[in-house]
Amino acid sequence: MTATALLQVFASGLMTGLIYGLVASGLSLIFGLMEVVNFAHGEFLMLAMFATFGLVVFTGIDPGLLAPLVAAAMFVFGAAVYALVIRFAMRVETNRGMVQIFATFGLSILMQGAAQYLFSPDYRSIRTSWLGERTLHVGGVFLPWPLLFGGLVSIATFGGLYLVMTRTAFGKALEATREDQGAVALVGIDCNRMFALGWGLGAALVGLAGAVLAVFYYVFPGVGASFSLIAYVTVALGGFGSVFGALAAGIVVGLVEAFTAVVLPPELKSLGIYALYLVIVFLRPAGLFGKF
Amino acid sequence: MPHGEAATAESFRSARVRRFLVAALVFAALALSPLAIRSVYLQNVLVLTLLYAAVSQSWNILGGYCGQISLGHGLYFGIGAYATSVLFVTWGILPWGGMIVGGVLAVAVALLIGYPCFRLQGHYFAIATLVIAQSGLVLMQNWDFVGAARGIQWPFGPDSWWTLQFARAKTPYIEVSLALLVASWLATVLIGESRWGYWWRAVKDDALAAESLGVEVFRSKMAAAGVSAFFTAVGGGVYAAFLAYIDPDAVMSFRFSLLFALPAVLGGIGTPWGPLVGAAVLVPLGEFSRSYLGGSGSGLDLVIYGALVMAVALARPQGLLSLVPRRRAAP
Amino acid sequence: MNRRQILTGGASAAVLAAALGAGARRAEAANEVVIGAIYPLSGASADVGLQARHASETAIEIINNSYAFDLLCARAAGLPKLGGAKVRVVFADHQGDPEKGRSEAERLITSEKVTALIGCYYSNVSAPVSYVAERYGVPFLCADSSSPALSRHGLKYFFRPAPNDEMFTAAMFDFFDAERAKGKKIETLGLFHEDTIFGTDSAAVQNSLAKARGYKVVVDVKYQANSPSLTSEVQKLKTANPDVLMPSSYTSDAILLVKTMAQLGYAPKNIVAQAAGFASQALYDAVGNLLGGVISRASFSLDLEKKRPFIATVNDLFKKQSQRDLDDNSSRQLMGLLVLADAINRAGSKEGAKIRDALAATNVPASETIMPWKKLVFGPDGQNPDASPVLLQYEGGKFVTIFPDNVAVTQAQWPMHA
Repeated sequence: MTATALLQVFASGLMTGLIYGLVASGLSLIFGLMEVVNFAHGEFLMLAMFATFGLVVFTGIDPGLLAPLVAAAMFVFGAAVYALVIRFAMRVETNRGMVQIFATFGLSILMQGAAQYLFSPDYRSIRTSWLGERTLHVGGVFLPWPLLFGGLVSIATFGGLYLVMTRTAFGKALEATREDQGAVALVGIDCNRMFALGWGLGAALVGLAGAVLAVFYYVFPGVGASFSLIAYVTVALGGFGSVFGALAAGIVVGLVEAFTAVVLPPELKSLGIYALYLVIVFLRPAGLFGKF
Repeated sequence: MPHGEAATAESFRSARVRRFLVAALVFAALALSPLAIRSVYLQNVLVLTLLYAAVSQSWNILGGYCGQISLGHGLYFGIGAYATSVLFVTWGILPWGGMIVGGVLAVAVALLIGYPCFRLQGHYFAIATLVIAQSGLVLMQNWDFVGAARGIQWPFGPDSWWTLQFARAKTPYIEVSLALLVASWLATVLIGESRWGYWWRAVKDDALAAESLGVEVFRSKMAAAGVSAFFTAVGGGVYAAFLAYIDPDAVMSFRFSLLFALPAVLGGIGTPWGPLVGAAVLVPLGEFSRSYLGGSGSGLDLVIYGALVMAVALARPQGLLSLVPRRRAAP
Repeated sequence: MNRRQILTGGASAAVLAAALGAGARRAEAANEVVIGAIYPLSGASADVGLQARHASETAIEIINNSYAFDLLCARAAGLPKLGGAKVRVVFADHQGDPEKGRSEAERLITSEKVTALIGCYYSNVSAPVSYVAERYGVPFLCADSSSPALSRHGLKYFFRPAPNDEMFTAAMFDFFDAERAKGKKIETLGLFHEDTIFGTDSAAVQNSLAKARGYKVVVDVKYQANSPSLTSEVQKLKTANPDVLMPSSYTSDAILLVKTMAQLGYAPKNIVAQAAGFASQALYDAVGNLLGGVISRASFSLDLEKKRPFIATVNDLFKKQSQRDLDDNSSRQLMGLLVLADAINRAGSKEGAKIRDALAATNVPASETIMPWKKLVFGPDGQNPDASPVLLQYEGGKFVTIFPDNVAVTQAQWPMHA
């Protein structure tokens, strides 16, 4: 392969990786806050993609502009899931981790079925986006606008997240809640409310990822499965509890996947990601930036 | 722990006798159940229920008793299914031998995986098992010698216990799955009572404390992983004979890894009856909702199945088994 | 009982009630022939399964009512040799899992007492279903699975009226040969196929035919189905830039492939696709503007309505159900049910063995089908050797038949961007 081709693979891997980071950010945030692994993460993403698709059909507005609206809708959805499902899973004394996993696993099947019932199992695509088929051509390297847009949204989101976490009272309360639930209850922070907000925020991040993906990816009830496994590996690789670790891990995963597909036969490309995960955790048992 | 007091020892012994009596009754009833359940469809559901119960019990040994949550047991199941199929279809080795070979192979793989992975904690361990199982799936999908994505079709032969092939009868598969369930149940209970069982529970409760008390934490985990992988692989071999056709997705996808943990968790994790109770609810639920509602293609069967899994998980977090009243708390 | 126990108990009761209710309606009407249809009604190919449902219901309408045209089973209402018996289809979902397909086949045979089975789209589900059918002596009409291996197990109750992958692929190479004879340059091929049974089978046949007929495969990319990104894969295709790109992909990957090719500035010289995703409406809805000139093999062409006007009527019936035109899959599913009903009628019996013999003796001229086949007969292996496929080219927002010459309505545009 020529140098340009390799540069192309690098650029594509980087942009895909930034999007992987964005997809994983919500999962990572929720885990960091309350140590819950959301097995319905892929279905949250599916819902966000359908929401984007539906809004585009009804309003005709460009999906890129709709991202904040989708994020807001997903915020409400995430908080509702917390109030209706997760809250009960948190009350459990015994065996909490497994109860959470399988409560959200049940939710994921329910959401897939409901999506098929409501939206039909057809594959949908957004065709009207301004970004849709545009490509930036820089010195022999093609930078498709949808991916470039996704990468930029990802960077902006993580930047915003950093500000929220460090500069706002809400962010400090979130950080405090995750450090010590008992202590924050004493100073008058309502844990339940913080968790609901955390789930809302996590789902809103998924909403942004969904809006970004819906610009160029197909939408159907099972679409979450294509991304959820990578999201779990990304979160673990970055280190559970480290939101910014998810960004770093996402980029690494995107690059490793892209280059594995060049070096090995492409049908084996996920082996690159899996091997990367194992090597990293054998060397650093808490992932790249894990806190424990 | 019971003290040396005579009365306590006596009641402990009688509780043990009662436990085995109950087990004998339950298993005998299950063995005779094909006499009452004549419908091929329901017998088919029964085979799957018993098989999932057996494999979930195997998962329970590592996940429930030793506290190491594996999301990669589909790998061992696949190894068993593939070893049995390849040996039978390519070299004519009877499936009974194939299952044992598969079991031994799975133990070897489990120990190989366990060696580096048991240093990992909690979710890092779970994701590592998942990642390794997925790697196995990818490799099988591209390994031409075992049929790659095309899978392996068992030849069409006459009914025989030797080859474990029966054209229409389900009863033999019910009995074989039940035998595997009994074996894994006995292994769980007997090892659970032994020194290893205490070690496993100590590792589960607090590995650091256990280590300081002289428990061989690493060896405990390895032993649990080996026993667990063996029975899972034998289950895979039975499944392959039952289905008479396998391909990578049909025996080792991620779905299986979840479905093996699910009955134990929903029935009662770390208990000898949890997996059977969980499977007895989950498997028929999945089969009935698909068979009677899935034909519409509306997705409603998935909504109901998902909602019930969620409801059971949240309503009985300690497992369905806790609905059964107990005379006294378990030790 | 506390609230949670009530919740759990109530939930289980609901499922039980649903199961029993479904059991009750199983009571068979006196003069009725029941056929079991097993399709993927949930999961990644549920869209195909849903179209299969519409196609089957259209076929039932044609069988059970009287129409004034000479399509198989159309003239009479019901099955005349069974006293005008009506046909009913029971649908089952296999979720893409061979075990579930097998268990549904057994349920349909033993509980629903179906006379015959039809299905299953996935080749790896059709395989165990064909074995169950054989063991129970119930005919299985494999409508839409194209793996060549299916008809090689020596089964007596297996019948496939439509082409298999070898026949489909041979048509593509016949077309290449014909274009080459006209002086067009076709030397190098690029294969792009997914890693499940469909893509693997397809690529194996393409590789061997390329070798046999003197074409050079310069790039052979096998990729993971439903991958989130196909960038590196497309980069390999772009670097090799073959004369013809031959994709074997389902809808999801086909959409991503076409978009990625456009994004990376790769415009293949020609695309000749192994249907699947490239025959699905969803792909053309999504990226139709990028697909001008694409050629796909198919087992069906709407152009045939010029020769057989009733195809337009059938298409309208189908469109009422599904809001779509008949395509590669739905035509095979619809026709399959007609073939089956015709054999049951000729057998004059619901007995498996008699229907099997009637199926084996099938000899129907092409003019009584909606398909471009030479005719409908079954070889000893259950395959219809005269099921000739066609090649369609996507031009101006619709498909036109370009090959073989006896059904073609126009010349192929080659190269496709000419």
